[in-house]
Amino acid sequence: MTAEQIKETLYKVAGEVLEKLAFIFSFPEEEREPMDYSDAVIARVSFTGPFKGTLLMAVSKEALPEIAGNMLGLEDNSDAAAEQQYDALKELINVICGNLLPAIAGKQTVFNVEAPHIISSDEMMNSRGAGQPSSAAKLDMDDGQCDLMLYIEN
Amino acid sequence: MAINVLIVDDSGVMRAMILKSLNMSGLPLGDTHQAANGQEGLDVLNQNWVDLVIADINMPVMNGEEMIECMKQKPETKDIPIVVISTEGSEKRLERLRQKGAAFIHKPFSPELIRDTIRNLMGLGGADDGGAD
Repeated sequence: MTAEQIKETLYKVAGEVLEKLAFIFSFPEEEREPMDYSDAVIARVSFTGPFKGTLLMAVSKEALPEIAGNMLGLEDNSDAAAEQQYDALKELINVICGNLLPAIAGKQTVFNVEAPHIISSDEMMNSRGAGQPSSAAKLDMDDGQCDLMLYIEN
Repeated sequence: MAINVLIVDDSGVMRAMILKSLNMSGLPLGDTHQAANGQEGLDVLNQNWVDLVIADINMPVMNGEEMIECMKQKPETKDIPIVVISTEGSEKRLERLRQKGAAFIHKPFSPELIRDTIRNLMGLGGADDGGAD
């Protein structure tokens, strides 16, 4: 799969998961600047298998209560506690990663996906210091933005 | 017949989503129990009458596959229907689960898929008589 195909797959999988799991519509905004990660909640999940790597997902802090509220089925989105919001983001990145890897490498492959973690923006910058991501997606949502970065180690 | 359900997933949000889907499904639910990993799930099974187990695969302490293995070794739990809801995409792993008699639902899922899978697994019939349409 080419780099361009991986990027298209990342956009497709992320959009579908946000819509089906969180009932959030997102729109690719390839040309916009990266988010302000100091104003985002960031999750990271690592994986091993035919290739190993890491997926990072950053979501605007103002967008996360609605995402968590939708996933939990809350009437009032502000009722989602911070821990529930983090749990919602971890579940989203877990499902995106779980769907992305076989879409890239094929359904016969076996990957081990580690438990997702919430990380600070500093930790994220350290991850990014390892080099440019193999693929990235920038999505806009009604109440914020979402950036995804896929790092594949050779 | 009211169905007593055990939901095993390390994500509280996912357990809530599955429970919400079950409540929307029109299935005759009885007691619902929750556990955050396979070992907690087995503890719940030891203490409660459960008619259906819905479990994730990747969990800390004891994963879903190990929990199913343990269930299959005990006469009290070996025949309980199991639905695995996971992001797992490997056909090899899915085939192993099918051989253990588990039905599989891929995340992200729809409430209708959960309803229909449980109906088929438990022989409840009535595909269009209410629920989340």
